[in-house]
Amino acid sequence: MKHSAFEQHARVVLRNLTLPVLLLVIWQLWASTLPVGSPAPSPVKVLETFFELISKGSLVSATVQSLGRVLMGFSVASAIGIALGLMMGTSPSVRENLDPIIESFRPIAPMAILPIAILWLGTGTPTALAIVAYASFFPVVVNTVHGVSHVDNKLISAAKTMGVSRLSILMRVVLPGALPSILLGTRLAMGVAWTAIIAAELAVGAKSGGGGSGGIGQMMFVFYAYNIDLNAIVVCMTVVGLVALTIDQIFKMLEKRLIPWRHEI
Amino acid sequence: MNIHVNATKLRLTGVTKSFFTPRTGATTLAVAEMNLDIQAGEFICIVGPSGCGKSTVLNMIAGLDQPSTGSIEKDGKAITGPGADRGVMFQDYALMPWQTVEANVGFGLRHGTPGQNLSSNKRQERINHFIDLVGLKGSENKYPHQLSGGMRQRVALARLLANGPDILLLDEPLGALDAQTRLILQSELLRIWGETSPISERKTAIFITHDIEEAVLLADRVVVMSSHPGRVREVVNIDLARPRAGTARTNPRFGLLVEHIWSLIRDEAYRAIGGAQSETVSHENPH
Repeated sequence: MKHSAFEQHARVVLRNLTLPVLLLVIWQLWASTLPVGSPAPSPVKVLETFFELISKGSLVSATVQSLGRVLMGFSVASAIGIALGLMMGTSPSVRENLDPIIESFRPIAPMAILPIAILWLGTGTPTALAIVAYASFFPVVVNTVHGVSHVDNKLISAAKTMGVSRLSILMRVVLPGALPSILLGTRLAMGVAWTAIIAAELAVGAKSGGGGSGGIGQMMFVFYAYNIDLNAIVVCMTVVGLVALTIDQIFKMLEKRLIPWRHEI
Repeated sequence: MNIHVNATKLRLTGVTKSFFTPRTGATTLAVAEMNLDIQAGEFICIVGPSGCGKSTVLNMIAGLDQPSTGSIEKDGKAITGPGADRGVMFQDYALMPWQTVEANVGFGLRHGTPGQNLSSNKRQERINHFIDLVGLKGSENKYPHQLSGGMRQRVALARLLANGPDILLLDEPLGALDAQTRLILQSELLRIWGETSPISERKTAIFITHDIEEAVLLADRVVVMSSHPGRVREVVNIDLARPRAGTARTNPRFGLLVEHIWSLIRDEAYRAIGGAQSETVSHENPH
């Protein structure tokens, strides 16, 4: 028997939602056994808090602020990462010089540069940007270098035998050839940028005593250190997860658009 | 411009090529002392066992590789690097996977030297003309991965011709195709090369193949090479009348020429597959 497209789609959604819904039900059941006035979070209370925070506007503005920092830091890191990656991938001498430096910084977690960043840049947006840019730089540069050095040599040879200049080869052969890898790098970078901003805002929130930094991470810090509102913390965590999921979906769509030759196979 | 019949188009003088392998520290001689004069409008096929340096010779003529010693001259001038005057068709076609058929055919015209003095209208005309010539009308907006092997081969051929090269360098272009497609494209290649036109209008072509029958069908002369190191064993003159497409295979002379070339490389071919040396004469291809 054949199913309609809608029916098939509904089946997939149903199948993928079974476990999450089951877990939520178990969580709610567990919470309902607790004495009244318990601070433990439950799905229903989290939902209530969510709408409360939305109506106050604070949740949206904090999310927008964090997202803005992520986009800015990510853009700076991507621009530098792609440019450096292209140079490293095409010139062995540039690569041999930069590789040891990049590889020795790469294991240093973004959080580990936070002390220096705070001392130099303060507890506001510049520090958050620096952390985000630092975190997202590495996936971009490493994947760009990988992509560039794995471009099919035959294609470059073919372009040479058609009288194509070196710059044109870089733009018309190397760049599109490396694009799938570059896009993968930026997608990974966006993921770490988002985790880095939350961690940075949390940490900066600690440093400035819940003061001026803003962002969703700092909002969490306030709920943790001052209000001790577990439901609100869960709301923040959920929003962080949902935003990350949305960004990843956007990147996947972008990938389909930008590299159609990969997705129609 | 005046093209003289029987003018030497390409001259290889004492060409050797050796490769250094850093891992083993050994130097291997891929091509040893090659001398060859190729006339304008001539169709040359190079046959020989794997590892005889066929592709190396082609790459050196293309300018992608430099000879270790000796010189390669085109129209009396030394070849120093790649250029659009020598178009190459690569074994696996080397089409840009991110570009449509139309963009692949137009790649050299739009981004390279061949289209420098053409208006964009003229370029488009040229692109359409060659897409038409190889029978790809209607597939302009497809990507290479959506095409069959035979169609990709046609795209590569159209791209090669659209750039208007002086010399066509073809590196086993039909090697990956099934037998039927191969037969069809051999005839088409002869047609497009200009088998029915006077020699002065033909392009100089150098075609590498494993297939002896293919070489005899296409070539004016077949350069038979042997391996380790790669050297010219014999240059066989193919004195079959043109046009050959369709009819040449039935000529008894065709079989004799195939037989002769096979006899030149048979021993090596058997050694290459590790089999015993055969005394019986066979028409099989040395694959």
